[in-house]
Amino acid sequence: MMLFICAMGKLLNRKKSGKEPVRISDYIEHSFSNLRKKKLRTFLTTFGVVIGIGALVSMFSFGKGVQKNVTDSFKKMGLFNYIAVYPSSGRSRGEQANMDPDDPQNQIQYEQVSDSANSPILDDNFLQEIREIKGVESAFAEIRFPAQIRFNEKEQFSLVSVIPADVCRSELMKLRAGKAYEGDDENSLIINDSLLRRMDIKDFEAVIGEQIEVSTLAMDPNLLNPMKLMSIMQGENLPFNQESYTFTIAGVAERMGMGGFIPVRSDVYMPPGPAEDMKKISLTNIKDFFQPAEKLKGYSAITIKVSSVKYIDSIKKQMKDRGLGTFALIDQLKEIKTAFMFMDMFLLAVAMIGITVASLGIINTMVMSILERYREIGIMKAVGASENDVKKIFFFESGVIGFLGGIFGLALGWVVSTVINQIANHFLVKQGAPYTDYFSFPWWLCLGAVGFSILVSLGAGLYPAVRAARVDPVVALRHD
Amino acid sequence: MNSDGFLETKGLTKVYSLGKINVVALEDVNLSVEEGKFLGVTGPSGSGKSTLMNLLGGLDTPSSGSIKVEGKFISELDKEELSLYRRYQVGMIFQTFNIISSYTALENVAFPLLFAGVSKRERHHRAGEMLEKVGLINRKDHRPAELSGGEQQRVAIARALVNKPKILLADEPTGNLDTSTSRQIVQTLAELNKNQGLTIIMISHELSMLAEFADDVIHLCDGKVVEQEKIR
Ligand SMILES: Nc1ncnc2c1ncn2[C@@H]1O[C@H](COP(=O)(O)OP(=O)(O)O)[C@@H](O)[C@H]1O
Ligand SMILES: [Mg+2]
Repeated sequence: MMLFICAMGKLLNRKKSGKEPVRISDYIEHSFSNLRKKKLRTFLTTFGVVIGIGALVSMFSFGKGVQKNVTDSFKKMGLFNYIAVYPSSGRSRGEQANMDPDDPQNQIQYEQVSDSANSPILDDNFLQEIREIKGVESAFAEIRFPAQIRFNEKEQFSLVSVIPADVCRSELMKLRAGKAYEGDDENSLIINDSLLRRMDIKDFEAVIGEQIEVSTLAMDPNLLNPMKLMSIMQGENLPFNQESYTFTIAGVAERMGMGGFIPVRSDVYMPPGPAEDMKKISLTNIKDFFQPAEKLKGYSAITIKVSSVKYIDSIKKQMKDRGLGTFALIDQLKEIKTAFMFMDMFLLAVAMIGITVASLGIINTMVMSILERYREIGIMKAVGASENDVKKIFFFESGVIGFLGGIFGLALGWVVSTVINQIANHFLVKQGAPYTDYFSFPWWLCLGAVGFSILVSLGAGLYPAVRAARVDPVVALRHD
Repeated sequence: MNSDGFLETKGLTKVYSLGKINVVALEDVNLSVEEGKFLGVTGPSGSGKSTLMNLLGGLDTPSSGSIKVEGKFISELDKEELSLYRRYQVGMIFQTFNIISSYTALENVAFPLLFAGVSKRERHHRAGEMLEKVGLINRKDHRPAELSGGEQQRVAIARALVNKPKILLADEPTGNLDTSTSRQIVQTLAELNKNQGLTIIMISHELSMLAEFADDVIHLCDGKVVEQEKIR
């Protein structure tokens, strides 16, 4: 540490002309030995700085840690590479079908929409068309339906997503056990760990290869039978038929932490092949419940994965031009960044209070030090110190306090952050969250904290140093 | 060497103003000291002895008149130049020793070398040599509180001379010491004066000691030189 300072001092000195004979390293060394002689005072003052810098460091590392977690997890999952495409509002098939044809206004709108805007139906043909677009790596339709899961004599109601095998094998799916299904026609599925936990299953490896029953609900075709309708209304019967299918558990997925963006947000994932054959009601829109199957043409949404973020804008434009709505998470990044900025500013304000208190402590200590060392200043001048020399001695003492405060403050911040991180994880992991570092210590934060501490301390030492330099040696040395 | 004096003052006057009242601490002092001389200064309390010393030592600036040292007008230097004068050309010792209580004897002696830009190792080496000269090398790591008054004054002498000045200004250096210790200190100064040609100006109330060691003695009263005696 001392070596580093001395080396820095020598470096700085080289630039100085021969007019100033005292080397900065000598001043710094002298400051260290002066401060060592007043251990308690130095300790107390430095401690103030340590607290301030410690607060600043832990605040910042928390802010940065959270931000890093959010952006990293988005990046790691490649979520910035996805665009969701859906029928533009007012044209969603649910609403179209729901419109009362007797309402003339709606009639007009409906016709206008279907006539003028020839927005395509999101079906397999359109999917194929999208896949041809430059920059599109893959595209798949969003299909989700409710189902009853039966396993180990336990039942759970859950949401099933149909996801192609290649998406399952991508970084979007984090598996805790087993592996993703190999093909789109395989009769196996992936189940979320949280669903298993709800069924009191803790050993995820053990369920791999086991059989699981999926019961779907399908709209009862006799729904319009008045007799049946009566019993439904009396609550005796549900307007659904149940069909059961058996699957093999291929893998256990990790529950998504943050940013559960469109494609993967269900409890059970299965390949398109078997899903197609199942009798089910699609559930992407609550209104779908009440639609007869024929009216449900096309998918509710399509997810496009681009090969690079740079294609996002052009693809979004193409979709919009065709009258479709789009959503890309990357658009949200700006808003997220603004939110982060506010968070930073708040943390900064809190830390600034600490720093202000610490610098007042330094000013106080240095002014006290001048009063206490009044005679010493006189002696300095008597033995040949110039005003500048005296100024520098006090100035560098503040700087050294800042340096020590910065180093130990950084250490304190790190310790506090680590402890909080451990405690937080202790509780959050229990609740099923993955172990996360909520604090981040980038190199610039470490260097910045120490540098900032030195700067603030030098600033605080400025006034006392000027005052010390002005001491009249004749008065200071007069013996009484 | 300049024949009209190694150290010379002409019409040296210092007036302190306390609000509306002006205190004339020193009035029209004309001195000429040759190199290697031992000048004694005496006079009652408040007669302006310390004021004269501070002016000669470059700690204070005269209200009027001039000070010339080695052919250079000290009274015309700016603050920065004055600090160089204090650093290299004069050494000062005081009645109250004025050594830094938190420093060891060695650190005290080495202190002036810091401002001369000497490296720490060299500072300690040279301070050790000076302590050797005043016979205190075995006490180099002791703090002032652990030293007797005489020893502390020796540390102060070593410090005053560490930058090898040609002039030593001593403001009542024996004022806080008993008679035998006082004698030893003045004897040390006299030896430095004889053996190394150090020019010494010393304030003292002990006329017998001045008569024994000084070449000339001046008497101050109310800021004026009232008597100049040539002893040898
Ligand atoms: N800084 C000062 N401000 C005002 N008056 C001073 C100051 N220093 C000395 N004096 C006055 O100048 C006179 C000479 O003081 P001084 O030189 O200390 O005398 P001595 O050292 O002979 O006892 C005294 O009357 C003293 O009160
Ligand atoms: Mg006096």
